Amino acid sequence: MKCKQIKGKFSDYLIGEIDEFAQKEIQEHVTACDSCREELESLSAIWTKLGVLPEEQPSHNVRARFYTTLEEYKQKMQQEKTRPKLGILLDGWFERMMPRRPAFQFSLALILLVVGLTAGYFLHAGLQGGGEIDQLRQEVRQVRQITAVSLLRQESLREQLKNAGLSSQVELPDDETLADFLRSVNSDTTPDSRLAILDALFPQSPKIRQELARSLSEKTSPVVEIALAFSQQITKF
Amino acid sequence: MNKASDNNLMVQVRDGNVEKLAVLFERYHVMLYNFFLRLTGNRGISEDLVQDVFVRVLKYRASYQGQNKFTIWLYRIARNAHIDFLRKRKDEVSLGEQWDEAPSHEPSPPEKVEQAQEIARLNLALAQLPLKKREIIILSRFQNLKYKEIAELMGCHIGTVKAMIHRSIKDLGKAYFELSGGIAS
Repeated sequence: MKCKQIKGKFSDYLIGEIDEFAQKEIQEHVTACDSCREELESLSAIWTKLGVLPEEQPSHNVRARFYTTLEEYKQKMQQEKTRPKLGILLDGWFERMMPRRPAFQFSLALILLVVGLTAGYFLHAGLQGGGEIDQLRQEVRQVRQITAVSLLRQESLREQLKNAGLSSQVELPDDETLADFLRSVNSDTTPDSRLAILDALFPQSPKIRQELARSLSEKTSPVVEIALAFSQQITKF
Repeated sequence: MNKASDNNLMVQVRDGNVEKLAVLFERYHVMLYNFFLRLTGNRGISEDLVQDVFVRVLKYRASYQGQNKFTIWLYRIARNAHIDFLRKRKDEVSLGEQWDEAPSHEPSPPEKVEQAQEIARLNLALAQLPLKKREIIILSRFQNLKYKEIAELMGCHIGTVKAMIHRSIKDLGKAYFELSGGIAS
Protein backbone atom coordinates (compact mmCIF):
# COMPACT_ATOMS: atom_id res chain seq x y z
CA MET A 1 0.00 0.00 0.00
CA LYS A 2 2.82 2.36 0.93
CA CYS A 3 4.72 1.44 -2.28
CA LYS A 4 1.69 2.25 -4.45
CA GLN A 5 1.27 5.58 -2.71
CA ILE A 6 4.95 6.44 -3.11
CA LYS A 7 5.05 5.39 -6.79
CA GLY A 8 2.10 7.69 -7.42
CA LYS A 9 4.37 10.59 -6.51
CA PHE A 10 7.28 9.62 -8.77
CA SER A 11 6.21 11.88 -11.61
CA ASP A 12 5.88 14.80 -9.14
CA TYR A 13 9.41 14.02 -7.99
CA LEU A 14 10.83 14.02 -11.53
CA ILE A 15 9.03 17.14 -12.69
CA GLY A 16 9.72 18.98 -9.45
CA GLU A 17 6.11 19.77 -8.62
CA ILE A 18 6.51 18.43 -5.10
CA ASP A 19 6.75 19.89 -1.62
CA GLU A 20 9.66 19.27 0.72
CA PHE A 21 7.75 16.88 2.96
CA ALA A 22 6.70 14.57 0.09
CA GLN A 23 10.21 14.64 -1.35
CA LYS A 24 11.65 13.54 2.01
CA GLU A 25 9.00 10.83 2.31
CA ILE A 26 9.99 9.38 -1.09
CA GLN A 27 13.68 9.48 -0.29
CA GLU A 28 13.15 7.69 3.03
CA HIS A 29 10.98 5.05 1.41
CA VAL A 30 13.31 4.23 -1.49
CA THR A 31 16.21 3.86 0.92
CA ALA A 32 14.35 0.99 2.55
CA CYS A 33 12.47 -0.45 -0.49
CA ASP A 34 14.61 -2.00 -3.27
CA SER A 35 11.77 -2.33 -5.78
CA CYS A 36 10.73 1.34 -5.53
CA ARG A 37 14.34 2.49 -5.57
CA GLU A 38 15.02 0.58 -8.80
CA GLU A 39 11.97 2.01 -10.48
CA LEU A 40 12.74 5.58 -9.42
CA GLU A 41 16.34 5.23 -10.60
CA SER A 42 15.24 3.90 -13.93
CA LEU A 43 12.69 6.71 -14.42
CA SER A 44 15.17 9.37 -13.29
CA ALA A 45 17.81 8.04 -15.68
CA ILE A 46 15.67 8.35 -18.80
CA TRP A 47 14.20 11.66 -17.61
CA THR A 48 17.70 13.07 -17.21
CA LYS A 49 18.85 11.62 -20.52
CA LEU A 50 16.11 13.54 -22.35
CA GLY A 51 18.05 16.66 -21.37
CA VAL A 52 20.67 15.86 -24.05
CA LEU A 53 18.14 16.51 -26.79
CA PRO A 54 19.10 19.97 -27.98
CA GLU A 55 16.73 22.80 -28.76
CA GLU A 56 16.93 23.33 -32.51
CA GLN A 57 16.50 26.51 -34.51
CA PRO A 58 14.18 26.63 -37.51
CA SER A 59 15.45 27.95 -40.84
CA HIS A 60 15.08 31.61 -41.80
CA ASN A 61 12.22 30.66 -44.09
CA VAL A 62 9.88 30.41 -41.10
CA ARG A 63 10.39 34.05 -40.18
CA ALA A 64 10.20 35.22 -43.82
CA ARG A 65 6.96 33.31 -44.41
CA PHE A 66 5.40 34.63 -41.23
CA TYR A 67 6.13 38.29 -42.02
CA THR A 68 4.86 37.87 -45.58
CA THR A 69 1.62 36.36 -44.27
CA LEU A 70 1.26 39.13 -41.69
CA GLU A 71 1.82 41.80 -44.31
CA GLU A 72 -0.78 40.25 -46.64
CA TYR A 73 -3.24 40.01 -43.78
CA LYS A 74 -2.76 43.67 -42.87
CA GLN A 75 -3.30 44.72 -46.49
CA LYS A 76 -6.48 42.66 -46.65
CA MET A 77 -7.73 44.33 -43.46
CA GLN A 78 -6.90 47.73 -44.91
CA GLN A 79 -8.80 46.95 -48.11
CA GLU A 80 -11.83 45.82 -46.14
CA LYS A 81 -11.75 49.05 -44.16
CA THR A 82 -11.63 51.24 -47.28
CA ARG A 83 -14.18 49.23 -49.25
CA PRO A 84 -17.67 50.25 -48.13
CA LYS A 85 -19.83 47.29 -47.27
CA LEU A 86 -23.11 46.58 -49.05
CA GLY A 87 -25.13 47.08 -45.85
CA ILE A 88 -23.61 50.52 -45.28
CA LEU A 89 -24.25 51.45 -48.93
CA LEU A 90 -27.90 50.42 -48.70
CA ASP A 91 -28.32 52.27 -45.40
CA GLY A 92 -27.01 55.46 -47.01
CA TRP A 93 -29.24 55.03 -50.04
CA PHE A 94 -32.37 54.49 -47.94
CA GLU A 95 -31.46 57.45 -45.77
CA ARG A 96 -31.26 59.70 -48.81
CA MET A 97 -34.50 58.36 -50.29
CA MET A 98 -36.52 58.61 -47.07
CA PRO A 99 -38.61 61.79 -46.77
CA ARG A 100 -37.79 63.95 -43.75
CA ARG A 101 -41.33 64.77 -42.57
CA PRO A 102 -43.21 62.04 -40.67
CA ALA A 103 -46.42 62.67 -42.66
CA PHE A 104 -44.58 61.96 -45.93
CA GLN A 105 -42.88 58.94 -44.37
CA PHE A 106 -46.30 57.58 -43.37
CA SER A 107 -47.70 58.23 -46.87
CA LEU A 108 -44.74 56.50 -48.48
CA ALA A 109 -45.20 53.50 -46.22
CA LEU A 110 -48.92 53.36 -47.10
CA ILE A 111 -48.19 53.57 -50.84
CA LEU A 112 -45.62 50.81 -50.58
CA LEU A 113 -48.12 48.66 -48.66
CA VAL A 114 -50.82 49.16 -51.32
CA VAL A 115 -48.35 48.45 -54.13
CA GLY A 116 -47.24 45.30 -52.33
CA LEU A 117 -50.78 44.05 -51.75
CA THR A 118 -51.81 44.74 -55.36
CA ALA A 119 -48.75 43.02 -56.74
CA GLY A 120 -49.37 40.07 -54.44
CA TYR A 121 -53.01 39.83 -55.54
CA PHE A 122 -52.19 39.81 -59.26
CA LEU A 123 -49.34 37.41 -58.76
CA HIS A 124 -51.61 35.03 -56.87
CA ALA A 125 -54.34 35.30 -59.51
CA GLY A 126 -51.79 34.67 -62.24
CA LEU A 127 -50.65 31.53 -60.50
CA GLN A 128 -54.18 30.25 -59.98
CA GLY A 129 -55.09 30.76 -63.65
CA GLY A 130 -51.96 29.03 -64.75
CA GLY A 131 -52.72 27.15 -67.94
CA GLU A 132 -50.30 24.36 -67.17
CA ILE A 133 -52.07 23.33 -63.96
CA ASP A 134 -55.48 23.30 -65.73
CA GLN A 135 -54.04 21.24 -68.54
CA LEU A 136 -52.58 18.75 -66.05
CA ARG A 137 -55.90 18.46 -64.21
CA GLN A 138 -57.67 17.80 -67.51
CA GLU A 139 -55.16 15.12 -68.43
CA VAL A 140 -55.55 13.36 -65.04
CA ARG A 141 -59.35 13.38 -65.49
CA GLN A 142 -59.05 11.87 -68.98
CA VAL A 143 -56.66 9.16 -67.77
CA ARG A 144 -59.09 8.17 -64.99
CA GLN A 145 -61.97 7.96 -67.47
CA ILE A 146 -60.01 5.90 -69.98
CA THR A 147 -58.89 3.49 -67.26
CA ALA A 148 -62.42 3.16 -65.87
CA VAL A 149 -63.89 2.45 -69.31
CA SER A 150 -61.24 -0.10 -70.19
CA LEU A 151 -61.81 -1.90 -66.90
CA LEU A 152 -65.57 -1.91 -67.48
CA ARG A 153 -64.95 -3.78 -70.69
CA GLN A 154 -63.11 -6.50 -68.78
CA GLU A 155 -64.77 -9.89 -68.76
CA SER A 156 -64.07 -10.88 -65.18
CA LEU A 157 -66.21 -9.90 -62.25
CA ARG A 158 -63.14 -9.15 -60.15
CA GLU A 159 -61.91 -6.49 -62.62
CA GLN A 160 -65.35 -4.93 -62.81
CA LEU A 161 -65.62 -4.72 -59.03
CA LYS A 162 -62.21 -3.08 -58.94
CA ASN A 163 -63.51 -0.62 -61.50
CA ALA A 164 -66.35 0.37 -59.19
CA GLY A 165 -63.85 2.03 -56.85
CA LEU A 166 -61.99 3.64 -59.73
CA SER A 167 -65.03 4.92 -61.56
CA SER A 168 -66.23 6.67 -58.42
CA GLN A 169 -63.14 8.91 -58.82
CA VAL A 170 -64.42 10.15 -62.19
CA GLU A 171 -66.08 13.30 -61.01
CA LEU A 172 -68.11 14.19 -64.11
CA PRO A 173 -67.89 11.43 -66.70
CA ASP A 174 -68.23 12.51 -70.32
CA ASP A 175 -70.96 11.07 -72.58
CA GLU A 176 -68.91 8.19 -73.87
CA THR A 177 -67.82 7.09 -70.37
CA LEU A 178 -71.36 7.43 -69.08
CA ALA A 179 -72.70 5.33 -71.96
CA ASP A 180 -70.19 2.61 -71.04
CA PHE A 181 -71.22 2.69 -67.39
CA LEU A 182 -74.93 2.43 -68.22
CA ARG A 183 -74.32 -0.32 -70.74
CA SER A 184 -72.65 -2.27 -67.93
CA VAL A 185 -75.56 -1.70 -65.58
CA ASN A 186 -78.05 -2.76 -68.24
CA SER A 187 -76.29 -5.70 -69.80
CA ASP A 188 -74.01 -7.26 -67.20
CA THR A 189 -74.81 -10.83 -66.43
CA THR A 190 -73.90 -10.79 -62.74
CA PRO A 191 -76.00 -8.77 -60.29
CA ASP A 192 -72.95 -8.20 -57.99
CA SER A 193 -70.92 -6.30 -60.56
CA ARG A 194 -73.99 -4.32 -61.70
CA LEU A 195 -74.63 -3.30 -58.10
CA ALA A 196 -70.99 -2.18 -57.71
CA ILE A 197 -71.21 -0.05 -60.89
CA LEU A 198 -74.50 1.40 -59.77
CA ASP A 199 -72.90 2.32 -56.46
CA ALA A 200 -70.07 4.09 -58.34
CA LEU A 201 -72.49 6.08 -60.59
CA PHE A 202 -74.85 7.03 -57.83
CA PRO A 203 -75.90 9.94 -57.75
CA GLN A 204 -73.79 12.25 -59.86
CA SER A 205 -75.96 14.35 -62.13
CA PRO A 206 -79.62 14.74 -63.29
CA LYS A 207 -78.63 13.19 -66.59
CA ILE A 208 -77.31 10.08 -64.85
CA ARG A 209 -80.48 9.83 -62.77
CA GLN A 210 -82.62 10.01 -65.92
CA GLU A 211 -80.62 7.27 -67.60
CA LEU A 212 -80.84 5.11 -64.48
CA ALA A 213 -84.66 5.58 -64.37
CA ARG A 214 -84.90 4.45 -68.00
CA SER A 215 -82.81 1.36 -67.34
CA LEU A 216 -85.04 0.47 -64.38
CA SER A 217 -87.72 -0.77 -66.74
CA GLU A 218 -85.24 -3.13 -68.47
CA LYS A 219 -83.97 -4.88 -65.33
CA THR A 220 -84.35 -8.58 -64.86
CA SER A 221 -82.57 -8.91 -61.51
CA PRO A 222 -84.81 -7.93 -58.57
CA VAL A 223 -81.82 -6.91 -56.42
CA VAL A 224 -80.55 -4.46 -59.06
CA GLU A 225 -84.07 -3.11 -59.55
CA ILE A 226 -84.42 -2.43 -55.80
CA ALA A 227 -81.03 -0.72 -55.72
CA LEU A 228 -81.96 1.44 -58.73
CA ALA A 229 -85.27 2.39 -57.18
CA PHE A 230 -83.58 3.16 -53.92
CA SER A 231 -81.00 5.40 -55.63
CA GLN A 232 -83.82 7.29 -57.39
CA GLN A 233 -85.60 7.71 -54.09
CA ILE A 234 -82.53 9.00 -52.27
CA THR A 235 -81.71 11.62 -54.92
CA LYS A 236 -85.16 13.16 -54.49
CA PHE A 237 -84.16 14.32 -50.99
CA MET B 1 8.04 37.56 -21.03
CA ASN B 2 5.35 37.29 -18.39
CA LYS B 3 1.94 35.91 -19.19
CA ALA B 4 0.18 39.21 -18.56
CA SER B 5 2.09 40.83 -21.38
CA ASP B 6 1.43 37.85 -23.70
CA ASN B 7 -2.20 38.19 -22.89
CA ASN B 8 -2.10 41.93 -23.40
CA LEU B 9 -0.45 41.55 -26.79
CA MET B 10 -2.94 38.94 -27.92
CA VAL B 11 -5.86 41.10 -26.80
CA GLN B 12 -4.45 43.87 -28.99
CA VAL B 13 -4.14 41.42 -31.90
CA ARG B 14 -7.71 40.35 -31.31
CA ASP B 15 -8.88 43.96 -31.36
CA GLY B 16 -7.27 44.66 -34.72
CA ASN B 17 -3.69 45.62 -33.94
CA VAL B 18 -2.34 42.54 -35.75
CA GLU B 19 1.14 44.07 -35.93
CA LYS B 20 1.61 42.92 -32.31
CA LEU B 21 1.53 39.30 -33.40
CA ALA B 22 5.11 39.77 -34.57
CA VAL B 23 6.21 40.08 -30.92
CA LEU B 24 4.41 36.87 -29.99
CA PHE B 25 5.89 35.15 -33.03
CA GLU B 26 9.42 36.10 -31.94
CA ARG B 27 8.72 34.76 -28.47
CA TYR B 28 7.17 31.47 -29.37
CA HIS B 29 8.04 30.27 -32.84
CA VAL B 30 11.20 28.39 -31.74
CA MET B 31 9.31 26.73 -28.88
CA LEU B 32 6.57 25.65 -31.30
CA TYR B 33 9.10 24.47 -33.86
CA ASN B 34 10.73 22.18 -31.28
CA PHE B 35 7.34 20.93 -30.11
CA PHE B 36 6.48 19.91 -33.67
CA LEU B 37 9.96 18.60 -34.41
CA ARG B 38 9.77 16.19 -31.47
CA LEU B 39 6.28 15.15 -32.48
CA THR B 40 6.92 14.66 -36.18
CA GLY B 41 10.68 14.21 -36.44
CA ASN B 42 10.69 16.24 -39.63
CA ARG B 43 12.08 19.76 -39.95
CA GLY B 44 10.19 20.77 -43.07
CA ILE B 45 6.85 19.60 -41.70
CA SER B 46 7.57 21.32 -38.38
CA GLU B 47 8.25 24.63 -40.14
CA ASP B 48 5.02 24.31 -42.11
CA LEU B 49 3.12 23.60 -38.91
CA VAL B 50 4.59 26.66 -37.18
CA GLN B 51 3.39 28.75 -40.11
CA ASP B 52 -0.01 27.08 -39.93
CA VAL B 53 -0.32 27.92 -36.21
CA PHE B 54 0.25 31.64 -36.76
CA VAL B 55 -2.12 31.70 -39.72
CA ARG B 56 -4.74 30.12 -37.44
CA VAL B 57 -4.00 32.67 -34.71
CA LEU B 58 -4.86 35.41 -37.20
CA LYS B 59 -7.91 33.55 -38.43
CA TYR B 60 -9.32 32.84 -34.97
CA ARG B 61 -8.04 35.97 -33.18
CA ALA B 62 -11.61 37.13 -32.52
CA SER B 63 -12.23 34.00 -30.42
CA TYR B 64 -9.43 34.82 -27.96
CA GLN B 65 -10.99 35.32 -24.54
CA GLY B 66 -7.90 36.26 -22.59
CA GLN B 67 -9.08 34.36 -19.51
CA ASN B 68 -6.46 31.62 -19.67
CA LYS B 69 -2.76 31.68 -20.20
CA PHE B 70 -1.88 32.64 -23.76
CA THR B 71 0.52 29.68 -24.23
CA ILE B 72 -2.26 27.21 -23.43
CA TRP B 73 -4.40 28.75 -26.15
CA LEU B 74 -1.41 28.63 -28.51
CA TYR B 75 -0.69 24.98 -27.72
CA ARG B 76 -4.32 24.14 -28.28
CA ILE B 77 -4.09 25.61 -31.77
CA ALA B 78 -0.78 23.80 -32.28
CA ARG B 79 -2.25 20.44 -31.28
CA ASN B 80 -5.22 20.96 -33.62
CA ALA B 81 -2.87 21.89 -36.46
CA HIS B 82 -0.90 18.69 -35.83
CA ILE B 83 -4.06 16.55 -35.67
CA ASP B 84 -5.28 18.04 -38.97
CA PHE B 85 -1.89 17.36 -40.50
CA LEU B 86 -2.08 13.71 -39.41
CA ARG B 87 -5.61 13.43 -40.81
CA LYS B 88 -4.42 14.72 -44.15
CA ARG B 89 -1.60 12.21 -44.14
CA LYS B 90 -4.18 9.49 -43.30
CA ASP B 91 -2.02 7.79 -40.73
CA GLU B 92 0.78 8.82 -38.51
CA VAL B 93 4.18 8.69 -40.13
CA SER B 94 6.55 6.49 -38.24
CA LEU B 95 9.14 8.79 -36.81
CA GLY B 96 11.57 5.92 -36.52
CA GLU B 97 11.73 5.81 -40.29
CA GLN B 98 11.82 9.47 -40.97
CA TRP B 99 13.75 11.26 -38.26
CA ASP B 100 15.97 13.52 -40.32
CA GLU B 101 19.31 14.19 -38.76
CA ALA B 102 20.93 17.62 -38.74
CA PRO B 103 23.41 17.84 -41.62
CA SER B 104 27.04 17.70 -40.60
CA HIS B 105 29.96 18.29 -42.94
CA GLU B 106 32.88 18.03 -40.56
CA PRO B 107 34.44 14.88 -39.17
CA SER B 108 33.31 14.55 -35.57
CA PRO B 109 35.38 13.63 -32.54
CA PRO B 110 34.42 10.30 -30.86
CA GLU B 111 32.54 11.92 -27.96
CA LYS B 112 30.46 13.89 -30.43
CA VAL B 113 29.66 10.74 -32.34
CA GLU B 114 28.62 9.07 -29.12
CA GLN B 115 26.40 11.99 -28.20
CA ALA B 116 24.84 11.98 -31.65
CA GLN B 117 24.08 8.27 -31.27
CA GLU B 118 22.53 8.92 -27.88
CA ILE B 119 20.33 11.64 -29.34
CA ALA B 120 19.31 9.38 -32.22
CA ARG B 121 18.38 6.58 -29.81
CA LEU B 122 16.31 8.90 -27.66
CA ASN B 123 14.50 10.26 -30.69
CA LEU B 124 13.81 6.74 -31.92
CA ALA B 125 12.58 5.68 -28.47
CA LEU B 126 10.28 8.71 -28.36
CA ALA B 127 9.05 7.90 -31.84
CA GLN B 128 8.06 4.41 -30.76
CA LEU B 129 5.63 5.75 -28.17
CA PRO B 130 1.99 6.30 -29.09
CA LEU B 131 1.20 9.92 -29.94
CA LYS B 132 -0.45 10.78 -26.64
CA LYS B 133 2.40 9.45 -24.51
CA ARG B 134 4.97 11.16 -26.71
CA GLU B 135 3.04 14.39 -26.53
CA ILE B 136 2.74 14.34 -22.74
CA ILE B 137 6.48 13.75 -22.32
CA ILE B 138 7.26 16.61 -24.72
CA LEU B 139 4.89 18.97 -22.96
CA SER B 140 6.13 18.16 -19.46
CA ARG B 141 9.85 17.69 -20.16
CA PHE B 142 10.63 20.11 -22.98
CA GLN B 143 7.86 22.67 -23.02
CA ASN B 144 7.87 22.91 -19.21
CA LEU B 145 4.11 22.90 -18.81
CA LYS B 146 2.72 22.29 -15.34
CA TYR B 147 0.29 19.48 -14.50
CA LYS B 148 -2.58 21.93 -14.35
CA GLU B 149 -1.75 23.37 -17.76
CA ILE B 150 -1.41 19.95 -19.39
CA ALA B 151 -4.69 18.87 -17.82
CA GLU B 152 -6.39 22.00 -19.15
CA LEU B 153 -4.89 21.49 -22.59
CA MET B 154 -5.83 17.83 -22.82
CA GLY B 155 -9.18 18.23 -21.11
CA CYS B 156 -8.55 15.75 -18.28
CA HIS B 157 -7.89 15.67 -14.53
CA ILE B 158 -4.52 16.37 -12.96
CA GLY B 159 -4.50 12.83 -11.53
CA THR B 160 -4.82 11.41 -15.04
CA VAL B 161 -1.94 13.57 -16.26
CA LYS B 162 0.29 12.37 -13.41
CA ALA B 163 -0.50 8.73 -14.11
CA MET B 164 0.05 9.23 -17.85
CA ILE B 165 3.41 10.89 -17.32
CA HIS B 166 4.53 8.04 -15.05
CA ARG B 167 3.48 5.39 -17.58
CA SER B 168 4.95 7.29 -20.53
CA ILE B 169 8.37 7.70 -18.90
CA LYS B 170 8.36 4.02 -17.98
CA ASP B 171 7.54 3.02 -21.57
CA LEU B 172 10.14 5.41 -22.93
CA GLY B 173 12.74 3.85 -20.63
CA LYS B 174 11.83 0.37 -21.91
CA ALA B 175 12.04 1.45 -25.55
CA TYR B 176 15.38 3.16 -24.96
CA PHE B 177 16.71 0.09 -23.13
CA GLU B 178 15.76 -2.15 -26.05
CA LEU B 179 17.33 0.20 -28.58
CA SER B 180 20.54 0.20 -26.56
CA GLY B 181 20.72 -3.56 -27.03
CA GLY B 182 19.43 -4.27 -23.54
CA ILE B 183 22.36 -2.49 -21.92
CA ALA B 184 21.26 -0.19 -19.14
CA SER B 185 23.29 2.96 -18.90
